[in-house]
Amino acid sequence: MKRNLSTLIFAILATLVFNTSAMAADEAEYQAALANARQALADAQQQVQLWTTSEVLLEEAAEAAASGNFDLAVEQVNEAVLHAELALATAEREKKVWQKGVPK
Amino acid sequence: MKSFFIACFLFLAVASAHATPEEDRLALREFFAQRFPDMDLNEMINGLYAFDEGAREQWVEMEDFPPYEIAIEDGEGAFNKTFANGKSYADCFENGGIGIRQNYPRFDTESGEIITLEWAINQCRKDNGEAPLPWLTGELAAISAYMAYTSRGNEMSVVIPDDPRALEAYESGKEYYYTRRGQLEFACENCHMQSAGNKLRADTLSAMLGQATHWPVYRSKWGEIGTLHKRFKECNSQVRAKPYEAQSKVYRELEYFLSYMSNGMEMNGPASRR
Repeated sequence: MKRNLSTLIFAILATLVFNTSAMAADEAEYQAALANARQALADAQQQVQLWTTSEVLLEEAAEAAASGNFDLAVEQVNEAVLHAELALATAEREKKVWQKGVPK
Repeated sequence: MKSFFIACFLFLAVASAHATPEEDRLALREFFAQRFPDMDLNEMINGLYAFDEGAREQWVEMEDFPPYEIAIEDGEGAFNKTFANGKSYADCFENGGIGIRQNYPRFDTESGEIITLEWAINQCRKDNGEAPLPWLTGELAAISAYMAYTSRGNEMSVVIPDDPRALEAYESGKEYYYTRRGQLEFACENCHMQSAGNKLRADTLSAMLGQATHWPVYRSKWGEIGTLHKRFKECNSQVRAKPYEAQSKVYRELEYFLSYMSNGMEMNGPASRR
C-alpha cells in the first residue's frame, strides 16, 4: 500500500514537472513570437488601419518578458496578432458594405 | 437590339453606383434637412453649439474674449515675417494669402496631390529655404488661424477639377469617412451623421455638415489651438484605430471630401470648442 502510494506521488510529480517544462515559454520563444508578430503587424498595416490595442499588447508583452513571465509575454504577443487579424477582417467586410451609409 | 438594352442597363447601373461629388453634397444636405427639419442647416458650422442650447450660451459668452485670439495675433506676426531670402508667405499664395482659406484643400494638377492649407504653408517655407513647422499645433496652426480669420464670411469653395486623379482622391476620402474602423468599429459617419446632435457621454456630437469650415480650433481639452488633422488623429484614437500621420495622403483625402461636403457654407474659423 505504502509502495503504491509512493509510486502514485512520484508519477504525479513527474507528470507535473514534465508538463511544466513542456509548457513554459522561455525568452527564445518570446523573441520568436515577437518577431513573427512584428512582421504580421507590418504586413497588416500595409493594408489596413490597425487597432491601437496591438501596440499596447506588445508593450505589455515586453513588460511581462522583462519581469521573466514569458508565458504571459507570448500570450500578449499572440493577442496582438489576433487584433491585427480582426482589423483586417473588419476592413474586408467594410469594403463590401461601406456605401450603405452614404445618403442617396 | 438586345445588346443595346444591356449596354443601357449597364451604363445606368454604373452611373447610379457612382454619384458625382455634387450629388453627394446635395444628398447629404437632404439627409440633414430630414433629420433636423426645424434647423437652419447653416447653423451646423457651429458644431455642437447648433444643438446644445446651454453649451451655446456659454460659448457665445466666451466668444467675447475668444481663446484663439492670441493665436490669430501670433499667426499674423509669423505670416508677415520675411524669410531669410527676403520673401514671405504672401509671395506663395494667391491674393497675398488673404481671404483664401475657403479654397483649401485644392487639387494640384501638376503633382496630383491634395494640397491642404497647412501643407501649402509648409511648402512655402521649404520653397524659400525654411524648415517646415510641426503639423498639429504651434506656429503652423497659428498661421493657419490667421489665414482662416481673414477668410471669415466667405463661402467654402473647394473644387474637384475634371481630372480622374482628383475624383479618385475625393472617392478615397469618402470611403474613409463611411468605413468602420478601430476596435470599437466606428465610422466617422456613425457619430457625425447617425448620431449628430446626440450625447456621447457628456459631449454633444456635431454634424458632418460645416465640420470643415472653422479650423483650426482652440479646444479647451487641448488648451491650445490645433489643426484639423490633430482632430482626425484624436478621433481615430478614440475608436482605437491607430492614427495616421498628420498630412498623410489618407487624411488629406479625407479633408478634401469633408470640405467639399461643406461647400457653400460660411467660413468661420478659427473657432473655439470644448
